[in-house]
Amino acid sequence: MNLNQTYRFWRSGGQCLIGGIAVALVTFVCFRLNVSITTAALLYLIVVALVSLGGSFLSSAVVSMIAVGCLAYYFLPPVFSFRVSDPFDVVAIITFLTTSGVITHSVTRARKSAEVLREQARLLNLTHDTIFVRDMNDVITYWNRGAEEFYGWTAEEVVSKVTTHQRLQTVFPAPLEDINEKLLRAGRWEGELRHTKRDGMQFVVASRWALQRDESGNPIAVLETNNDITERKRAEEEIRKLNDELEQRVIERTTELEAINKELQAFTYSVSHDLRAPLRHMAGYAELLQKSAASILDEKGRRYMMMILESAKRMGDLIDDLLAFSRIGRAETQKTMVSLEQLVKEALNEVRQETDGRNIGWRIGALPDLYGDRSMLRLALVNLISNAIKFTRTRPQAEIEIGCADGKEDEIVVFIRDNGVGFDMKYVNKLFGVFQRLHRAEEFEGTGIGLATVQRIIHRHGGRVWAEGLVDRGATFYFSVPKS
Amino acid sequence: MNELGRILIVEDDPKDVELTLTALEEYNLANEVVVTRDGAEALDYLYCRGNFTTRTNDNPAVLLLDLKLPKIDGLEVLQQIKSDEKLRMIPVVVLTSSREEKDMVASYKLGVNAYVVKPVDFHEFVNAIKELGVFWAVINEPPPGSVKKHH
Repeated sequence: MNLNQTYRFWRSGGQCLIGGIAVALVTFVCFRLNVSITTAALLYLIVVALVSLGGSFLSSAVVSMIAVGCLAYYFLPPVFSFRVSDPFDVVAIITFLTTSGVITHSVTRARKSAEVLREQARLLNLTHDTIFVRDMNDVITYWNRGAEEFYGWTAEEVVSKVTTHQRLQTVFPAPLEDINEKLLRAGRWEGELRHTKRDGMQFVVASRWALQRDESGNPIAVLETNNDITERKRAEEEIRKLNDELEQRVIERTTELEAINKELQAFTYSVSHDLRAPLRHMAGYAELLQKSAASILDEKGRRYMMMILESAKRMGDLIDDLLAFSRIGRAETQKTMVSLEQLVKEALNEVRQETDGRNIGWRIGALPDLYGDRSMLRLALVNLISNAIKFTRTRPQAEIEIGCADGKEDEIVVFIRDNGVGFDMKYVNKLFGVFQRLHRAEEFEGTGIGLATVQRIIHRHGGRVWAEGLVDRGATFYFSVPKS
Repeated sequence: MNELGRILIVEDDPKDVELTLTALEEYNLANEVVVTRDGAEALDYLYCRGNFTTRTNDNPAVLLLDLKLPKIDGLEVLQQIKSDEKLRMIPVVVLTSSREEKDMVASYKLGVNAYVVKPVDFHEFVNAIKELGVFWAVINEPPPGSVKKHH
């Protein structure tokens, strides 16, 4: 036997004992006062009812049996004997037993259902949610502790006394008739309500209504569960406000950036148009002067003239490269799958002039397809290959290798390696800067924009560029492009 | 190849005008050149109005058009020419400093016949002008309504 069973055994025993004592008392009093057998039987039935009200079915049955025994012994002739001879007396005893059985049964049942209700109410009181029941006239019939704590009214103050919507000053999200119609049709309703507490504070609750029907299907009550979502609503509102502000700020910044971009475009446009014209004039007139004054110019004069023309040409190249560089930053990238092999072929074709009279050993490995802007990637390759050609110029036998290197899983790494003059790794950070040059102009010509252009192109593809080199031992340039 | 079409130059910069004329002269192409100095004057010439009411009523064989011009810019002139039934057949060559893609696209959209970026190098510039002059004023058969003179 476990503890619970032990407890129940002793409780039943106790109830039997108390019932027995009560029966004995009734018997003693009735016998002394010489009351009728009917009165005695009625008093016994009251004892049985009381026992079944407080105890188990078993103890009521035991007490009933004791009462029958007493009836037979003390009140049915022959007195002081359990013998019952008259058939009417047998019927009377059976009637008594039946009546006590019925009383025990109904009392126990009523007690049990009351216990169930009490248990349910106790459970509902455990939750923090506010739960209450209202009848079809909106009068509150149940009010749990959550409701007491949340709204500030006790159950005594509201149950059977007030109507819900009036007490809580409910604000509905839709006309009440519509809500009720939906509730009757579906048996439930959900929505957000605004309620006012006892202290006058307004709250937003997420409300769930469930309709209770009786056995024949008529609606009898509504169970309403409410959750305070005021804080959540406030947070949502806050988030919405922040989002709006953020959007506003983004719009402002975008407008600013657009203005700056426009200015920048006007600037490059002006460079493109206006800066080249005087340059062209300088070159043109110098050329004309050279021609018309050729006879009176000495060697020195002719050299000066040549310097002017050279400088004009160099500035023209610089402007062109700079404009191309800025165009890459502004142009939309149009990405497709492109064959790197094909691109390298095209790039080699484009720089063929630079290889005239040179002895170059090309090694071109297997090249995959890339996802990127075709013309931009080709420009990057042209710049890198052209560099390799340029910086191997001092080698009787130049070696240039183009291939794919190991990289991270989600990127393709391409390298261009040469056995040219290389560079000191000390200056590796300067390689990709605009106008940054690691060689004197008389050694290797150039505007210092080529590698900056390469870097800008690769960055616009979401990739990286880097380089390795040793003075006089060649250089390797790498770039990576994401696979998709 | 002994007929020479008239070349209409629309150019605001006097130095550019001089260098262009010098280049044309070098190849004997400068006889039939008319220079207008802004978009408005160019349109006056084409419509025989303003200073040009008395000119002979024929169209140039080619128009060398700068884009950045005072009053009415090159693209506007181009648009006016290409949307006019009487003028739209005149070949127009944009001759500009600008390598800007948007200028190029706009010009071609308006129906330009050629787009040439003025080279900074004078030799290249002279070459470009020469070839333009030879092609448009000599080799190319201009549309009816323009006059060719014996060269």
